[in-house]
Amino acid sequence: MTDHKGKQIALAVFLTASLVTALGCSKTTNLAAPNTNYRSVQDDLGREVRLPQKVQRAISLAPNITEMVFAVGAGDRLVGDTTYCNYPEAAKSIQKVGDTLTPNMETIVALKPDIVLVSTASQLETFTHTLEQNSIAVYISNPHSIDEVFKSMRELGEIFGTRDQVESSISKLRERVQRVSRDRRPSDRPPKVFLQISEEPLFTIGRDSFLTEIIKNAGGESVTKDVPGGYPKLSKETALVLNPDVIILSDSSDNRAPGDAFKSSPAVKNGRILRVNADVLSRPGPRSVDALEQVSAFLRPRETNKTVSVPE
Amino acid sequence: MRSRSKFAVFLVVLLVAVLILAATLGSERLSFFDLSDQQRSILFDIRLPRVFLAACVGASLAASGAGLQALLRNPLAEPYLLGVSNGAALGTMLSFVLFENLEFARPLMAFAGAVAATIVVYQMAKSRAGMTVERLVLSGVIVTTFLSSIIVLFTSLLDAAKLRSFTFWLLGDLSQATRNGVYLCFGAAVIGTVILASQARALNLMMIGERDALDFGVEVGRVRLLVFGAGALLVGASVAASGSVGYVGLVVPHIVRLASGSDNRSVIPFSALAGASFVVLADLIARVAIAPRELPVGAITALIGAPLFIYLLRRS
Repeated sequence: MTDHKGKQIALAVFLTASLVTALGCSKTTNLAAPNTNYRSVQDDLGREVRLPQKVQRAISLAPNITEMVFAVGAGDRLVGDTTYCNYPEAAKSIQKVGDTLTPNMETIVALKPDIVLVSTASQLETFTHTLEQNSIAVYISNPHSIDEVFKSMRELGEIFGTRDQVESSISKLRERVQRVSRDRRPSDRPPKVFLQISEEPLFTIGRDSFLTEIIKNAGGESVTKDVPGGYPKLSKETALVLNPDVIILSDSSDNRAPGDAFKSSPAVKNGRILRVNADVLSRPGPRSVDALEQVSAFLRPRETNKTVSVPE
Repeated sequence: MRSRSKFAVFLVVLLVAVLILAATLGSERLSFFDLSDQQRSILFDIRLPRVFLAACVGASLAASGAGLQALLRNPLAEPYLLGVSNGAALGTMLSFVLFENLEFARPLMAFAGAVAATIVVYQMAKSRAGMTVERLVLSGVIVTTFLSSIIVLFTSLLDAAKLRSFTFWLLGDLSQATRNGVYLCFGAAVIGTVILASQARALNLMMIGERDALDFGVEVGRVRLLVFGAGALLVGASVAASGSVGYVGLVVPHIVRLASGSDNRSVIPFSALAGASFVVLADLIARVAIAPRELPVGAITALIGAPLFIYLLRRS
């Protein structure tokens, strides 16, 4: 009996000792890191993020961030991304670390990244804490408009040290945005656009969605632009009185056709339905410019073509 | 007896009043004396089907709760606790995955799921010594949690676009009301409630004790089968139409019993009437509270149900 108890005590002492050592170690590595090899940047939440001078290994936890990292010429430094990351083609073959909301912490740590790029602040505190204990920086990038995408791309260029490539790809994108606004004809009554994210239940975009602004810049007006929130579930009664001229469908498996509430709207009567790839539409990133161009081309008055499907 | 018929009149008047209120209010204002085509469409294609569906779902869930509580002599007995709802939910989910475009597959699969869950629970609860209520409730809890984990597994494996409609549907959502859905749910509500009410006298005797009921000539096995069958029908139809609207089967029969005693001949039909009013009212709040956006009705039933229940329990 006493022998058994002795073993237990020994085990407890051992465990406590190793725990203390482990904690002590992690603390010393953090403090002893030589300052000259590190620099500090500010992320979209205003947090100071300490980074190694040269970022060699990065993990992206959002598909739009992955697209931006590739666009700034640092795709080859991504060592991990999410199951949602399917563009560009090279993003598919990168090691998957889970999806955006439930990344696998063990996989992330095992990949030894210098930085983890995150789009959402959810569960951030525990997440950041664990990663920073392992000397992994967490950087939040959360653009909400095409201008903010450019800003985020510039910041990513700072992080990866690819400034030249960033400027050239931003100026190309900016040129396309300017062409859209040049082609836009001033109109007293811009076409009323309803963007349907899913048919059942009926989800759409609200005041806080970046797509509301994209529709405006494309020469239209979102009929749900005053509805609070980013992606509200909309009353079908209200949907019925919106009478949109154009319906944009975010092309996905649960969103094949406009909801029944629109069957007598001008959009359905005149067949003015535009399907846009759901990834292109929903990710604030470089391809948001594609979305802008597609919507603007469809809204331009001289366009008489009916349903247009743009696969990519 | 007189107070009971007064209560019946009160419940009918309440239901009619609530139905009228729910038909008049919505995210769009209607001028009832001069309806345009569009307004007629709002009223007849969108609002009224939804209001009637809410009534049928509420009546079904409350009646099945009343029946199961009487049968199991357990105030906690409820379609959710016994795994019936989750069986129906899993059935509906499978029909989404397997037969995406077949509208009629959903209620059938939901009913099949409800029946399957009921049979499993029933078989688990049976032992050589006969079935005890404790064993039954325990089996129900186990099956419920097991089915929940399968549902969670499914939602994790499905792609993101489908996930959104599922998670919303799991919280209870009446916005997908169609006329066919209303007819189906109405039929199930009437048939199920009539079957339950027809067993009310036997259930009264069984509440005293199953031995005593046997002495009075009640065929206990047959009553069990009918009550479980009617419960599965009611719950299957409701879940297929609206997902999981919680709290109704638990709270409504209790309130009815507090108000009118525990004679099942009145508890079962009264619960159906009160349940209909309850869910119509809850869905009205879900529709108009933050219009033109909508809330999930399941959250509202829980928000109203729990405090109301505590108040009535304390007062009595």
